[in-house]
Amino acid sequence: MSRPEHPIVRLRGVSKVYGATRALSDVDFACFGGEIHAVLGENGAGKSTLMKLVAGVIQPTSGDIEVDSVAMRLKGPADAMARGLVCMFQELSLVPDLSVRENLMLGAVGTGLGRLNTGVVRRAQDILAQIDGGAIGMKTRVADLSLAEQQQVEIAKALTRDPKLLILDEATSALNASVVEKVFQLIRAERDRGVGVLFISHRFHEIESLADRISIFRNGTHVDTFDNGACSYGQIISKMVGQRIDDLFPPKPAPDPHAQEVLRLDGFGWADTLKDVSIVLRKGQITGLGGLDGQGQGSVLQGLFGLLRGTEGRCLVGGTPVAINHPKHAKNPKLGIALVPEDRKTEGLILDQSIAQNLELAALGTDGINASDPAIYRPFLDALELKCDSLDQPVSQLSGGNQQKVALTKWLALGPRCMLLADPTRGIDVKTKTQIYALLRRLAESGVAILLVSTDYEELIHLCDETHVFYQGRIVRHLTGEDVTAEAIIAASLNIPASAQTAQSTHA
Amino acid sequence: MNTIRQNLPRIDALFPYVGTVLLILGGSYFFPQILGIEYLAQQLQIAAFLGVLALGATIVILLGHIDLSVPWVLGGAAIISTSLAGSGDPAFIVAAIPMALLFGALVGVINGVGVAILRIPSMVWTLAVNSMLLGVAVLNTGGFNPKGEASVTMTWLATGNLAGFPVAFLVWMTVTGIMALILKRSAFGRYLSAIGYNEKATFLSGVSTPSVIFAAFAIAGLCSALGGIMLAGYANQAYQSMGDPFLLPTIAAVVIGGTSILGGRGSLIGTVGGVLFITLLTSILSVMQISDAWRNIIFGVIIISMLLLQTLRRKGN
Repeated sequence: MSRPEHPIVRLRGVSKVYGATRALSDVDFACFGGEIHAVLGENGAGKSTLMKLVAGVIQPTSGDIEVDSVAMRLKGPADAMARGLVCMFQELSLVPDLSVRENLMLGAVGTGLGRLNTGVVRRAQDILAQIDGGAIGMKTRVADLSLAEQQQVEIAKALTRDPKLLILDEATSALNASVVEKVFQLIRAERDRGVGVLFISHRFHEIESLADRISIFRNGTHVDTFDNGACSYGQIISKMVGQRIDDLFPPKPAPDPHAQEVLRLDGFGWADTLKDVSIVLRKGQITGLGGLDGQGQGSVLQGLFGLLRGTEGRCLVGGTPVAINHPKHAKNPKLGIALVPEDRKTEGLILDQSIAQNLELAALGTDGINASDPAIYRPFLDALELKCDSLDQPVSQLSGGNQQKVALTKWLALGPRCMLLADPTRGIDVKTKTQIYALLRRLAESGVAILLVSTDYEELIHLCDETHVFYQGRIVRHLTGEDVTAEAIIAASLNIPASAQTAQSTHA
Repeated sequence: MNTIRQNLPRIDALFPYVGTVLLILGGSYFFPQILGIEYLAQQLQIAAFLGVLALGATIVILLGHIDLSVPWVLGGAAIISTSLAGSGDPAFIVAAIPMALLFGALVGVINGVGVAILRIPSMVWTLAVNSMLLGVAVLNTGGFNPKGEASVTMTWLATGNLAGFPVAFLVWMTVTGIMALILKRSAFGRYLSAIGYNEKATFLSGVSTPSVIFAAFAIAGLCSALGGIMLAGYANQAYQSMGDPFLLPTIAAVVIGGTSILGGRGSLIGTVGGVLFITLLTSILSVMQISDAWRNIIFGVIIISMLLLQTLRRKGN
């Protein structure tokens, strides 16, 4: 692909310092029109700082930013947007209490001082229809949308801004594979129109399929930039972490189908969301729940944790039928069920409180556990290598990956028999992912039954011993052993019968 | 890290104490009698009434809610206790204080039900409860000051002296001590501020959040009722609207004491300071013969400044 002579944005010797930490040091970086440029790096590598600089959210401590070869100071996001630099942030930037329509119009070109540009809404609806978001009502309050739907709206909103450079920071982290593919088609179309795209994602296969060029950041420095395909998987990872991580996933032991049963769901159902779900969790096994977003996987976890009223079917723990109707009941050592919720910032943790206060919240009041004793958390914090100044530090000061370590440890200290995990690695850097994967495998080996909902099918393939794929509230496929492949999971997610799927793949 | 430290009093809690000392020093420049033991002891006695109310308010505000039913829980408790005490029947006289406290706890639980189960914003629900209590009181008394008088115990609680200290002050300090212990040592205390910061995450940690909310409102009701009993003992009667002038100063004392009006962050020790500050300010303003209008304006300005300060600091973080 021929590259335009001048980049849309060029950074020359840019540094950004926050207090004592150097978020970026002396970075040279350029992105061109008509190119999808992926930025890779661990959390804390400086990717988000880079994006914020380009989007005008923050100003560099030193160095120059050139837009269309003119050095300038971007005064704020509005200034950057006026120059065609449109950013979609990792932290969703929609206003929860406004409707989808109102959010789309908020700050849209040609809107302001009493004028509304309703054309934006029509264009956004077109875009949403292309990425499986056609069903999202324009009058729905954003707070009532699922995380995935919010991301779809966010993508539509960004695209209606006519970007010259589109910045996507973990823009697809809550979306499942088939929607992601449709979003990618849109992004590719934008690129072919000459738009530049800056793309941050932690999912390798997404970057592999989408990026034209890849830049690697590590500890605030720009390590390398190369064309997609020029480096192998292993080379990329070693550039990112500065050392080799041989395996993202721990080795899987041979499955034991006769392992002791910990929990069994029989014909479990709830309202219109779940129908006839039967799952068996065994000691030492990691069971995955896959499928498109909102097909009921999340509700299984909620039901098991006592968050749903009026469920049908039977639930047996250790062979005894139980009715779980409150999280307090679920965490009781007699049942020993723990849930690490999907949204760690609002559900899993209390950001304004200290690490110690967060850790003890689940263990407080549980018989036989001294919640105030840091020693009961220490082994897990050490295994996960939590990085913090002290346990009195507010959780809000930790990076996303470290926050998730706290959210996990809080429950592990209870010694649960069954861990329910809702997408625990979403938006988390590679190194933390490997630590979490290794810990989950070790927990399984120590006899814990693990139920994992994941939007990343690599986790279902490489981490889980077996996988149930959901479609419209039902389990459509149960995959084990060699059958767990990316193709099989995607086909089942779309409810394509197994036979049709094999026919399709022989064509391809 | 060997221990998990809890709720260390923050700098905020010291502000009202510094303010109080400045008030005493500044005031004594104009009115030297302020430094007299008698004057200060009298201030401690008066502060105790507001102080007991503000303890309950702190608990509810830590939870992220507010209790606007303080005036008529106070008034109701005063009416119940004086009516029983004034009946002349010895059994009723003995029951006066327990019945009034029971009434306070009951209204507190009703407040808790509205907030925790019916999910109605506490600002609206407790305001409505306050209004209903007012109605019931007027229906009962026909709008006149209720008959009755304070029992000996009530009078002693409000005006007595023990070892050189006003009994009212000792009651206030005892209740403060007990509640501080509960907040520091019990799971309830930790759940309280956890809910204040993030109720959803606390519930998902397997905490029965409705019970915590019930208990918090019940404690607040108990405190309001105790305040009513003591005030009735002080005045030797109950009278219509006796609680109304206490609502704003109660909230002001909590806010001045550094407790976040949004919940989560705060301390009882700060509230005690806030109560001392407000009581002294009121007293000095009246010694200076400044009109009530100005006093109200000053209170309003103080509350707004404290909230602004909290907001600015949150942004700074």
